[in-house]
Amino acid sequence: MDGAQEVFRQLARMPGLAAELEPYREMLLANVVMVGEIPAPTFGEEARVGFIKQRFTECGLQSCSSDEVGNGMGIMPGTRGDKTIVVSAHADTPFAANDNHSFTIEPGIISGPGVADNSLGLAVLATLPTVLEGLGIKLQSDLLLLAPTRSLEQGDQQGIRFFLSNSTIPITTGIVVEGCPLGRLHYRSMASLGGMISCHVDRKLCRLSAIEILNSLISQLRQIELCPQTNTALVLGSIRGGATYKLPARTAHLRFQLRSDADDKVNAINRQILNMLDEAAKTKGVSAYLEVIARTRSGGLDGSHPLVIAARKIMHSIGVQAKALIYSSTISPYLEHDIPAVCLGVSNGDNLNYADEYIEIEPMLTGLAQIIGLLLCIDGGDCA
Amino acid sequence: MHNITTWLESNTFHHSQFWDLLRLIRRKEALGLTISLCIPTLNEEKTIGKEVVLFKSELQDRYPLLDEIAVIDSGSTDRTLEVASAFGADVYSSADILPEQGFKRGKGENLWKAIYQLTGDIIVYVDADISNIHPRFVYGLVAPLIYRPEVQYVKSFYDRPLALSKEIRSSGGGRVTEILVRPLFSLFFPELTAIIQPLSGEYAVRRQILEKIPFPIGYGVETSHLIDVYTQYGLEAFAQTDLDRRVHRHQEIRDLGKMAFGILQTFIKRLNANGMVVDLPQLTMNLRQFQVRESHYEQIIHEIVEEERPAMQEIEEYQEKFFHLQH
Repeated sequence: MDGAQEVFRQLARMPGLAAELEPYREMLLANVVMVGEIPAPTFGEEARVGFIKQRFTECGLQSCSSDEVGNGMGIMPGTRGDKTIVVSAHADTPFAANDNHSFTIEPGIISGPGVADNSLGLAVLATLPTVLEGLGIKLQSDLLLLAPTRSLEQGDQQGIRFFLSNSTIPITTGIVVEGCPLGRLHYRSMASLGGMISCHVDRKLCRLSAIEILNSLISQLRQIELCPQTNTALVLGSIRGGATYKLPARTAHLRFQLRSDADDKVNAINRQILNMLDEAAKTKGVSAYLEVIARTRSGGLDGSHPLVIAARKIMHSIGVQAKALIYSSTISPYLEHDIPAVCLGVSNGDNLNYADEYIEIEPMLTGLAQIIGLLLCIDGGDCA
Repeated sequence: MHNITTWLESNTFHHSQFWDLLRLIRRKEALGLTISLCIPTLNEEKTIGKEVVLFKSELQDRYPLLDEIAVIDSGSTDRTLEVASAFGADVYSSADILPEQGFKRGKGENLWKAIYQLTGDIIVYVDADISNIHPRFVYGLVAPLIYRPEVQYVKSFYDRPLALSKEIRSSGGGRVTEILVRPLFSLFFPELTAIIQPLSGEYAVRRQILEKIPFPIGYGVETSHLIDVYTQYGLEAFAQTDLDRRVHRHQEIRDLGKMAFGILQTFIKRLNANGMVVDLPQLTMNLRQFQVRESHYEQIIHEIVEEERPAMQEIEEYQEKFFHLQH
């Protein structure tokens, strides 16, 4: 059976699949809560990954283990095992370990820090083996469930990059699961550079405030030509500096992201920024430098790729409208290893990365159904 | 107090000792036991959903430890019952259970009526206001009853320190426990001081014990249970399990005053019944607290009457429902 036929066959099953998943609703909810209430700041994911591995073990997965960077994984062997599909959901959150991680479940929503990013994604991993078994679905391909660590901010997706660089198993296809939004279909990565500009002032040599230096740099950043043809954008994300209102700030930091369709454009602007910093540092007593937090390459699948087409059809068949945005940094590690991959969302939600983050319960099973549908398409056909 | 030391060694557990739920379930099934979970509620819409979801998914669907999950409500005016029902709990209004016995408002009333309404050989009670709820709150309490047939009543306590050193550290309960209950136990029932948190709201008990003890409907229910079970069965009937940490609402000091007043009534009643004090005068049921209004002190009088329900086995409807099965 070729890929198109398999997609067609699976499409016929899709409309009723969310209803078939109804008995697993509480299990998915419980996994969201149990995963999400275990703190997992970037570089501190061990306890959460431990729970995920325990779930994999309970489900009878094979090779439940962690690697050198703490990624958690388990394998559901396929009947043929000639292909390996990776379903991954990052394990870390931007919340500190001592933040209150209590979740609340109300009839329509679950709320709590990190519930969308990415407790729900991890809960899908933890629930998927039970659901597939319950539905009598036996994949031909090996299914490798992966909870990568060190994804966010300074983590720079170290976990997934380490896994893909060192895996002894050839990976055929990747599905990246994020909690929200449902309708997310990312299959390309933009070139990006996440960085932090730091300004320091030696107050013995200079009376300026580091905030003034940084302010001047921000003005210069705003002057950079961004090239709309390549969708180049500069996002000024966060800023901090100084210790008190009474004294000139000794330090100031700006975190930003530069992104573009074109690697060259990011590299060129990066050079411009470095030049600006060199110029600023010529002032006596001032230092200014750039620390790169994260980098991604541009590229990915075309909209006509069979995996993208299959994902679109699966989503359409269950009434999910694919959103227009096609870019996600999560695709970049797969792209670096020439592995076709898409990133899907499971439900709707809001307030990401704030304490009042929430997801809607009702769409969750539809989100889970689309992942199962796509798995079946990849497994039975040629989506690679 | 040799008995206390021995008991602490043998009957104090940590929930992690019972991590093997498959083994626990196999033992439960071999013994032919049934277990009911009772969650007493009054306006708990914020926390009840998570409790029901977690217990149902983890301890019914994944590991079938619980045969029944029930919410028994004292008349919530929020969406507590709707939420609990939506996630699969059996929900009951306390007033609808044993209507011939009337309805009294109080947590103890819900716990007492649960004995009639629920069917398990073991009933585990878990409060609804726990924001860090976890399956350990149930399996940590029922496991000693499953593995140790001589244990009748298992109390929870919450004592997991975040860092362990070799230093000695104090261990104990909340303010009312340390200021009122433990001093009273030290005076009158010294062995009961070994119960680290006598007022904790989570406990698992065999039906054969629950049906034999009276239930204060208010603040005194936990204290009365300890005294009544202790005087009939001794310390050996108890076990306690450390469930790590419990995150819940903080109570104002004035509310703790009311709680202490109710507990004290229950305590004195039992001292009287056991002949441990005699010739007490008629006691008032009024708790007096004070507040300042525009530099004047004024008293607030709370009438707190710690009513009690009789042992359930004395209730005719209960006898009809259960005794032909059990005896």
